Amino acid sequence: MTGLHERLTQIDDARELSEFRAQQPAQMRAAGPGKIGELRLGFSLRDGRSVLHDLYRVAPLLVQQALYWDEAMPELPICSIISVGGGILQGDRYRLEINVEEGACAQVTSQGANRIHQMDANYASQHLEVNLGAGAYLEYVPDFTIPYRDSRYINETEIVIAEDATMLYSEMMMTGRKHHHSSERFGFDLLSMKVSARRPDGRRLFTDKVLIEKGNGTVDFTAVMRGFDAFANVVCLTPPENAARISARIDVNFPSSERRSISGVSMLPNKAGLMFRAVGVETYDVRAEVRRFWQAVREETRRRTLPEEFLWR
Amino acid sequence: MPGPVAMARESGMDMLLLARLTQFSDSTLPIGSFAFSQGLESAVQTEIVHDSDSLRQYVELLLRQSAHMDGIALLHAHRAAAVEDYSAVRVADSALWDRRIGEEQQLMLARMGKKFAELSLKIGNFPMLEQWLDDIKSGATPGCFPVGQAMALAHMGAREAEAFAVQHYGVSSMVLSAALRLMRIDHLDTQRILFATQERVKDHYLDVRDLALDEMSSFAPVFDVLVAHHTKTHLRLFMN
Repeated sequence: MTGLHERLTQIDDARELSEFRAQQPAQMRAAGPGKIGELRLGFSLRDGRSVLHDLYRVAPLLVQQALYWDEAMPELPICSIISVGGGILQGDRYRLEINVEEGACAQVTSQGANRIHQMDANYASQHLEVNLGAGAYLEYVPDFTIPYRDSRYINETEIVIAEDATMLYSEMMMTGRKHHHSSERFGFDLLSMKVSARRPDGRRLFTDKVLIEKGNGTVDFTAVMRGFDAFANVVCLTPPENAARISARIDVNFPSSERRSISGVSMLPNKAGLMFRAVGVETYDVRAEVRRFWQAVREETRRRTLPEEFLWR
Repeated sequence: MPGPVAMARESGMDMLLLARLTQFSDSTLPIGSFAFSQGLESAVQTEIVHDSDSLRQYVELLLRQSAHMDGIALLHAHRAAAVEDYSAVRVADSALWDRRIGEEQQLMLARMGKKFAELSLKIGNFPMLEQWLDDIKSGATPGCFPVGQAMALAHMGAREAEAFAVQHYGVSSMVLSAALRLMRIDHLDTQRILFATQERVKDHYLDVRDLALDEMSSFAPVFDVLVAHHTKTHLRLFMN
């Protein structure tokens, strides 16, 4: 895979990692053999049907095959990312690449919550590159990420998207293992998540970076996260006419009392699309809000709806 | 005998600069800031802000957020303007714009930027702002307010820390002026909060002064929802 180490090396240089960079885990060496997970997924149209035509994987990341189990959108190939390691460990370096060619559609999700385990040395990083061709459609909808106490995680996503393509990019986060111990809430050392998008000709669309470092005194402010333990940032990159229809359908959810969740949609700059934000008490409160937005995106861009959620989710 | 700092402070240039910085920090500067509440209108409606303590906390959050976004862009634009590198000013302008989410937040950033440039050119001579305003009108650059501030203040000889302080003060005075019209609070309380919240200006400056444009970041999920909330509110006084 070209450019593998270059992008991960650039992430290694991030200022917020400086405190953790020199520490070597007592277990397997950081970024050593077995610690670099790779995944490349390529979707394209074959005889009018979207298929997974390209699959490259290196443990601890694994995808087996695309399945077509979405009853409301049976043409959608769905790949579930499996983490062989049972979560992200210190010293892990992941690189993912998803390519959706002209006219194809796909969904990439995950098996379950993405756990970022407790760390006492080094950090974990992930770089995701996404390329969407003309008219392509991708749902990137992994389950919640749960950063454990003392974990350090940095994640960068770069999206290149054609003018008439649509992408739903969802990040759902917990503040920690809230039911395990009270010190888990915002108990991590570092959470750094950046997503940016541009057109194939290089025009920048938007960048959003969430950075939470230990000692940020504002996390329990009422305008930040007081009373809530889960949040989601869901980006929908889509042409402006789609964005206007989706936005018109999404009412703001901000109940006057007993707030289980709040949410609302905002316009991205440069006519890039929409950003849906949700905050909630439990993961299921936030997931329900994200699904409300996801359904509107599907219905307005693909004329397909979202099937009911599985009982075990 | 006055010391060297006091001597310098007594020189005519410093006095003129201070007077001009005061003018450019004044909440009556006609650049349209009275129309914006920085999400406070929704924060009051949803009772996220309901008294002077919660208002103070809200201002503290805005100042921290602003330092890590607008403040970084302002410092980069100031450094570029100080060496007359206009293309680097434009880079800071686009970098900030690409990170501004929410149509009303974007409107505030661009409208105040343009009005600020127009006003500055009416009252003084700012060659770089002239070019910038032309580029805003032709759509070549977004025209973010803190970037315009940086160019004007650099041209007047303000140091970057002073420019940062002007921007920092402006954020708090804007939201506190809005508070007077939105909630049950008096002028003494808002002045008390304004005075107290400026205490962190140096900490905020030191936190961000070495950061690259690419390191602009934020974390305020409830505030982000408030921004979306305001866009869809029917009864309102402010544009954000």
